[in-house]
Amino acid sequence: MRNRPMRFSVTAVLLLLSFAGVTYAHHGFVSWFDMSKSTTVKGTVTSFDWTNPHSYIYLDVKNDKGAVEKWTIELGALSMLSRAGWRKETLKPGDEITATGNPAKDGKPIMHLDKVVLANGQELSSAL
Amino acid sequence: MRNRLIFSAAAVVAALALSPAARGQSAAQQKPVPDISGVWLVEKFEPRLFPNGGAPLTAWAEAKFKTTNLQTNDPNLACLPLGLPRFMISVPYPMEIFQVPTRVIFLQEGPQTMRQIHMNRQHPKDLDPTYSGDSIGKWEGDTLVVDTIGFNDKTWLDGSGLPHSEAMHLVERIRRIDHDTLAYDFTVEDPKAYTKPLSGHEVYKLKPDWEIHEYVCEENNKYTYQGK
Repeated sequence: MRNRPMRFSVTAVLLLLSFAGVTYAHHGFVSWFDMSKSTTVKGTVTSFDWTNPHSYIYLDVKNDKGAVEKWTIELGALSMLSRAGWRKETLKPGDEITATGNPAKDGKPIMHLDKVVLANGQELSSAL
Repeated sequence: MRNRLIFSAAAVVAALALSPAARGQSAAQQKPVPDISGVWLVEKFEPRLFPNGGAPLTAWAEAKFKTTNLQTNDPNLACLPLGLPRFMISVPYPMEIFQVPTRVIFLQEGPQTMRQIHMNRQHPKDLDPTYSGDSIGKWEGDTLVVDTIGFNDKTWLDGSGLPHSEAMHLVERIRRIDHDTLAYDFTVEDPKAYTKPLSGHEVYKLKPDWEIHEYVCEENNKYTYQGK
């Protein structure tokens, strides 16, 4: 936490169980992401793909050693994102956000988003 | 191309409703049929028919199921049609149901595909196998009973990759149990793939304020499909 960008993993089994069925949904999420883990990263948006079948946030995250990790954060489809309150303008390069989701099984800096907290404190769910 | 086709679904429905055949049949059918039209979303999403395993697979199906790989050969990775019953049970997006006298049409938002149920006709002979097969329907009281054959074997039964053969016979029963709720039951008979019939149940809730949105699976699909 504190002021510097952070990265930590927590187990949130009960929470994840409620999402496990949903995230199994589309392009085989469960086979790519570790549904038993939740990771939170805080960083700076470099770009935002507002696209189907998934949207993507690209995030620069400074790790504990000060090095920048390039994260790719996968979201759901535009339709459900729109219904959850997302818009194309929700994110722009330079925005500071905190993203929580399921990390990739292979350890790469990729995440299936659960929720994001924007710089103004607004919280949005991934919708899928 | 497919998306253009799909987005003309509403126009097709409107044209059917206004066609002489539809009007003629409508006049002949004085008895009103239940209304199941509207935008519906699955209540509790579980894309797997057997979340804990135990599907009664034949040896043929077991061998095929072992080749299932959600990262490489799910037809959904290639944005191909989901087939049935996956279309009905394994989609966390809403679907809209349209009714005209000669058809009941399902428009799925997620895979952006359409299925049509032909009312009051028989299956054609010598069906060419297709992703959604040939569906015929009739009303039994308040229940729409749908019989489908003529499938190809390129789709999965569900999101876990359970296979089926071209011999699959699907019977679905759809009933509006209250204004906001649609109950869906189905039975799959496929002796080549399963040692006994499979059945499943799904509940959909009405989303009166929702509209079906555009969803172009091919737009920014980063997943790779390696076929069989």
